[in-house]
Amino acid sequence: MNEMVKINVNGIEIQADNNKLLIEACEDSGIHIPRFCWHKRLDPVGMCRMCLVEVDTPRGKALVPSCTTKVTPNLVVDTESEVVKKAQEGVLEFLLINHPLDCPICDKAGECPLQDQTVSYGPGESRFVEEKRHFEKPISISEIILLDRERCILCARCTRFSDEISGDPLIEFVQRGNKTEVNTFPNEPFRSYFSGNTVQICPVGALTSTSYRFKARPWDLKATTSTCNGCTVGCTVELNASQNKMLRILGVDNDSVNQGWLCDKGRYNFEFLNNQSRLKESLEKVNEKFEIISNKDLINKLKNKILNNENKVKFLLGTNLTNEEYAAFNEFSALISKSKSDFYLSDDYLFNGYFEKNISLATFNNLDTADTIVIWSEDIKENLPILYLRVRQAVKNGTKLIILGHNNSTLKDIASDFYSSDIIDENFELKVQPENLKNLKDAVIGKNVTAIIGKSSPYQNKKSLDLLVSFLNENSNLSLLNSFSKGNSFGAFQNLDSVKGLPDLCKDFEEDLPEVLFIVGADPIGSSVLTNKITSILEKINCIVSLDLFIHQTNELANYVVPMNSTVSEKEGTFTNIEFRSSKINKITPSPGKALSENEFLSNLLSSLGKSTDFLSVHELNTKVAENNFNQVNKITFDELDKPSNFDGIISGKEVNINCTFFIEDKSLYYVGRKLYGDSVTQRNSQSISILGSKKYIQANLSTIKTLDLEAGKCYIEQNGLKLSSELIINENIPDGLIYFPINRRNFVKYNFAEKINISNISNEDILSVQ
Amino acid sequence: MSWDKKLINQANKIIKQYPQKRSALGPLLHLAQSKDGYISDDSIEVISELIGITEVQVKSVSTFYSMYKQEPTGKYLISVCKSISCEISNSSDVIKKVQEITGLNNNETDEEGIFTFEKVECIGACGGAPAIQINYETVEGMTPESTESLFNWLKENQPKVIVADILQEKFGGTRSFEWGIKDNSGTIASVPGFQNFNTVGESK
Ligand code: SF4
Ligand code: SF4
Ligand code: FES
Ligand code: FES
Repeated sequence: MNEMVKINVNGIEIQADNNKLLIEACEDSGIHIPRFCWHKRLDPVGMCRMCLVEVDTPRGKALVPSCTTKVTPNLVVDTESEVVKKAQEGVLEFLLINHPLDCPICDKAGECPLQDQTVSYGPGESRFVEEKRHFEKPISISEIILLDRERCILCARCTRFSDEISGDPLIEFVQRGNKTEVNTFPNEPFRSYFSGNTVQICPVGALTSTSYRFKARPWDLKATTSTCNGCTVGCTVELNASQNKMLRILGVDNDSVNQGWLCDKGRYNFEFLNNQSRLKESLEKVNEKFEIISNKDLINKLKNKILNNENKVKFLLGTNLTNEEYAAFNEFSALISKSKSDFYLSDDYLFNGYFEKNISLATFNNLDTADTIVIWSEDIKENLPILYLRVRQAVKNGTKLIILGHNNSTLKDIASDFYSSDIIDENFELKVQPENLKNLKDAVIGKNVTAIIGKSSPYQNKKSLDLLVSFLNENSNLSLLNSFSKGNSFGAFQNLDSVKGLPDLCKDFEEDLPEVLFIVGADPIGSSVLTNKITSILEKINCIVSLDLFIHQTNELANYVVPMNSTVSEKEGTFTNIEFRSSKINKITPSPGKALSENEFLSNLLSSLGKSTDFLSVHELNTKVAENNFNQVNKITFDELDKPSNFDGIISGKEVNINCTFFIEDKSLYYVGRKLYGDSVTQRNSQSISILGSKKYIQANLSTIKTLDLEAGKCYIEQNGLKLSSELIINENIPDGLIYFPINRRNFVKYNFAEKINISNISNEDILSVQ
Repeated sequence: MSWDKKLINQANKIIKQYPQKRSALGPLLHLAQSKDGYISDDSIEVISELIGITEVQVKSVSTFYSMYKQEPTGKYLISVCKSISCEISNSSDVIKKVQEITGLNNNETDEEGIFTFEKVECIGACGGAPAIQINYETVEGMTPESTESLFNWLKENQPKVIVADILQEKFGGTRSFEWGIKDNSGTIASVPGFQNFNTVGESK
């Protein structure tokens, strides 16, 4: 049981939590004990001995590591005695024996715990005159992480993180004694989705990222706290910029959300901001070519288009806008057209979800208190990475995990049941009623259940999901997360009056083609499985206005392209995550070129139309969004979001406006899904991670490959004149007879998955000629 | 997989003895050592697959312990004790002799792949110092002379199985006491003879 007990530290009595370690309890009371290996979110190991303190024992005073000593009542501790100081000096002198002290060329210098603690607690000089040990200066242990073994102090933070937290222990200590080093197995690089965290928690400059290496000095960085909009988890981040350039993103420990961790995509998918090919001017298409147009002329031209077609203006929005921007578009559309407008959101996995009043919606913390977690959704490791870590954490602490569907096989090892092809067919329909699944029944009836529910594939119908959800809702104390995974989707649901999906767009536009279509931060042609249909529809529209960061496959079809600010670091606003948690998005770098913010653009357009634009002031929007979302529940204003007490974000009102009527009608013959890394516009333009999403491959299990008379290795994928070379990889977790396509790899969405796709091996001779 | 059926079966038998697969790591590494005379990356891949931990985790353990060799050993691993009891009983002369005969420095293997020589810390035979091990089979009470005969015998006969008692009888001096297992059937590679891991010679 947690209990506060009295302990005496440095002659002062303090209250300490008897469940905590001494080092943490002291920290709670403002007494800092130096440390290298101990990290709040990792299991203690007592490797570095930097945290030695003196405690009173029945046999007199003794030096103990405070990171492995639990608080006990009436413990008497000295953290500053002569003996402790001597011990600290000794530890540091030893640590520095083999340390290269190349601070002048080390990225960590200036924010390095080894540097800082040597200054505060070190001996001042070294008696070591012998030669230090040497290693090859940085070796790359993955495409994005470098390791300088000379700098490593063997604290095991990185190895423990990858074992305990991310569950992909691809780095470990090898050798022994003086020769010990962190390393990977040859040909098995540290390819983890979470590798950037090890760089952040390494207490020295041993681990560095290709992204930030040699880019800046910490003392030159500006910093602000913000929210990652990479997926609907909405991790709390610190943005670092210097000279108006974004240079780094760090994870911030938000106890309710990401607990300090970030996925590598969230961490590194910002480099596109500084990319040369970013749009900086508005463009107009003249004779099939884009030409620069001034913002003033652009507004004038658009004004006329809109005036003539008031009711035929539609909006196709991406998922990376702020709540304020969604609200602005909502108001804008209401002002310019007489009928209520629908907004189409560019996400193949969108459907109406489970937001009914009788279903209670979950927060991440419910995962920790649940008896059972049930997942039937997209692959959460690929699409909601930090939620994946939270699930792993909960299971580690004793929660049961049950998985349905063929996704999420990386959680198979820790799941008590993994219902795949025996129970669920290739179209993600249940073959068995949920109540007939004995283990599921036992694990949920009368229990606290948190479910993560969403479509497993763009083609999945919701019939079976309905069955499962109503079974869970009737039989357990259910809390549910709707696993829509893209960006600020939940902000869109809250702040737009009516949200529809791409199948709706196809149906609606086939009946009634809009005259003017605004496409904002969306590239459905490059990302949706409906790409062929959407292309033919967009080609027919007279006036497409695209607001975006880059030219891509979709806005190549546009008549006007307007440069936009990025949500990563160029605007202020709010974000709503999958738990309906509202938090701040902050600005740290200026807009590039002549980019306007969405509000500026819209209000210019409105005033040219002679309409009032008051509501488009930043302040009005902030107030409105606050009212709309979190203020009703908590009476918290926009400005108050920045208060420390609201640091975790505010769980806001859970009203959503999703009005999808259509599903994709075709049945897919293939198993499709999205990977963390892919060919998105932003990732393509982020140098250090672009390569991670570029490899084309498909997967199947060995028996399927054999039945198809194929071999693992290079292959061609061919359909209707589209022929791509790819790799066929064996994956035994793919159900029999299915071939898996990661649809966010370049051009994969162009295949029609409802029809047969020819796959053939490439012979060696072919490979030569291809090269 | 680069392990043959027989070895895999052997491995699976060992794994079954433990409640958790990964606990079988130590003995499996001995198996790998008996196969190649060192822990090859190939074997590491096999073991990682068999017990469900990553390759680098296997590597971490295998490089920590000095008895799991990282380089191929010769047919006979000669370990001569250099610790204190042996040292005061003239182990340095024995060491010199071994080096003279084999021409090897510490931790080296000859070109023919017959001998690997290493100096080791106390091997628990202080009472019969100086002591020496051939493929972990101990002989006590060695002198430079008996060392020479031992090597001549090894070279001439190249025995498949090394058994401590036989060596002791032929070449050893005073024995500290009757130690070791009864019916010791010896070792067949540079790895200790474990009855239940099948790294022993033919049963007598
Ligand atoms: S690389 Fe860094 S985090 Fe990893 S053990 Fe070395 S010092 Fe610690
Ligand atoms: S998990 Fe999602 S919100 Fe968190 S860092 Fe990754 S992309 Fe960003
Ligand atoms: S912090 Fe306690 S031993 Fe490292
Ligand atoms: S000192 Fe050589 S065996 Fe103990």
